[in-house]
Amino acid sequence: MNKPTPRRSDCGHRDGPARLPAYVIIPALLAALLLAAPADASDMVCRANYDFCVEVDGKYPPDATFFTADVRGKFLVDIPSNGSGLLIDLPARKAVALTSDLIARDQAPGIMKVKNPIPAGAASYALSIEGPVLRFQTDTSKVRVLKVLDRPPVVGPITLDALFSDRAEYREAARLYNPEKTAIDSIRQSKKTLEVEAFFATWCQHCKIYMPRFLRVMKDASNPNIKLTLIGVPKNFGLEKGPWEGKGIQSIPVITVRYQGKDVTRLGTHETAIPEAELAGIISALR
Amino acid sequence: MVKVLSYAAHAARLALGFIFLAAGVLKSLDVAEFAHQTAGYGLIGPGLAALAAPLLIGLEGTLAVALIVGWRPRAAAVAIGGLLVLFIALEAWGMAQGRTESCGCFGAYVQRTPAQVILEDTVFLALAVLAWAGLGPWAARRRRLAAGCMAGAAIFSLGFALASPHLPIDTLVTRLRVGRTAEELEIARYLPDRGQGRALVALLDLTSPDAKAASEALNVLHETPGAPAVIALTPSTEQEEAAFMWESYPAFEIHPVDRATLKRLYRRLPLYFLVSNGRVARIFRLARPTAADLLSSEAS
Repeated sequence: MNKPTPRRSDCGHRDGPARLPAYVIIPALLAALLLAAPADASDMVCRANYDFCVEVDGKYPPDATFFTADVRGKFLVDIPSNGSGLLIDLPARKAVALTSDLIARDQAPGIMKVKNPIPAGAASYALSIEGPVLRFQTDTSKVRVLKVLDRPPVVGPITLDALFSDRAEYREAARLYNPEKTAIDSIRQSKKTLEVEAFFATWCQHCKIYMPRFLRVMKDASNPNIKLTLIGVPKNFGLEKGPWEGKGIQSIPVITVRYQGKDVTRLGTHETAIPEAELAGIISALR
Repeated sequence: MVKVLSYAAHAARLALGFIFLAAGVLKSLDVAEFAHQTAGYGLIGPGLAALAAPLLIGLEGTLAVALIVGWRPRAAAVAIGGLLVLFIALEAWGMAQGRTESCGCFGAYVQRTPAQVILEDTVFLALAVLAWAGLGPWAARRRRLAAGCMAGAAIFSLGFALASPHLPIDTLVTRLRVGRTAEELEIARYLPDRGQGRALVALLDLTSPDAKAASEALNVLHETPGAPAVIALTPSTEQEEAAFMWESYPAFEIHPVDRATLKRLYRRLPLYFLVSNGRVARIFRLARPTAADLLSSEAS
């Protein structure tokens, strides 16, 4: 049963503000007005959304980022290398060009602020939606916003740094992961020579969750005795030729651990797996 | 030797009968999911799959009972063998296409890889061959009774498959229950503060025609002062989520979740539940919760 809503007089306050003297009320009102006045009070706060990527003229600028605004239906596309920011206004079905004075980078990573409202007269471009892809054409470029899983995939060997540079979703998720320190120390200090081979796919949702954690572990441990090979796997990898053939790969990611020239085990790559704990456990079990 | 073969054939007949009966019952618990998995092979569309799913369940149940009661058992073994050859071929084709999802042969709650399914079906096929080869002219003595049982099984299995979505058996066949923790349900990482506050979780099929209306109502709840945070989890793909986001721009977060994980929580969508301090506090199966429901949940 619902409890009865307490009446104001039940709250325990003896008197309301009406009995306060004018010398208290007026300065309080002035202070409230001053606090409400700053221009940034109406700023839109935009948070980076690394599930989406930005394609500009068929390429993926590494610094291009998609942001979700705290105002419903509004998004920001920031492309610093192009010197441009675009506010996507979905209800109005348009993208509005933002001048640099309208955008401010916050100290916190992945947060930007956009002045609201945007001055009238700013250049705007019609949006079109084609299923999961949002597209528009500015004066100079064709821009598409799409899911990162829909980007052309990384296929074949790639270094960890190149992967982090190319794929913001991996880099940022790795940055946010906090591996267990004792396990990292244990991996870092190992003298055993291991070869770790990771087959993953940038089009795979499960890899997007698991791989950044594993890569963060490898980066933090940075043990020269552990050689990491990263191999991007294409779609239909069962039919394509490549280093993934003959490895018994049925689903991805697959991370094999080789020791003294032999495959000793594979890491459990399920979503709740803790890669540092598992790898440290494998290393300590090797003789 | 003939006697041994006969005993083995009867054992195979009964084993295969009960296996197919179990498969039929498990699939009946979630016919919609079986239809989805069937359509996932890409050979038939979702509409035809929705029609074929209860019929296939009915056929499996009927053949299973025919084997068990001994009504034309050799013919039933041949029919089951034919179905198994079809399943193996389908699975091999799916594997060649890079498909990694389970076939749904034992319903939504048993997960295996395509390779495991092929191995399993090959063993079942061997049982069917053994039953066919070893039974000879054997059949049930009371043929009319056996035929009656089989006809009853056909009516019952088809009827159960059709009625199942409307039966109140969700708590029996899914893991979602009041008191379960978000960790147990494997959804904690999607919740604000890992579910330690209060959150209304909406399980939505973003491709469903009523998803947009659900989204509008959830937007209102999301913006209601004092109401819990709203998040949506969906078995829809990332692409479907993106398309939905561009069209509906919901005010709350939507997370595509691995279908196999999410499927353990529901039989029908949409479904809503309230998580409070890491535990499921209330489930709204029949209707979308209102702001009053959520605020009263807070009070209680």
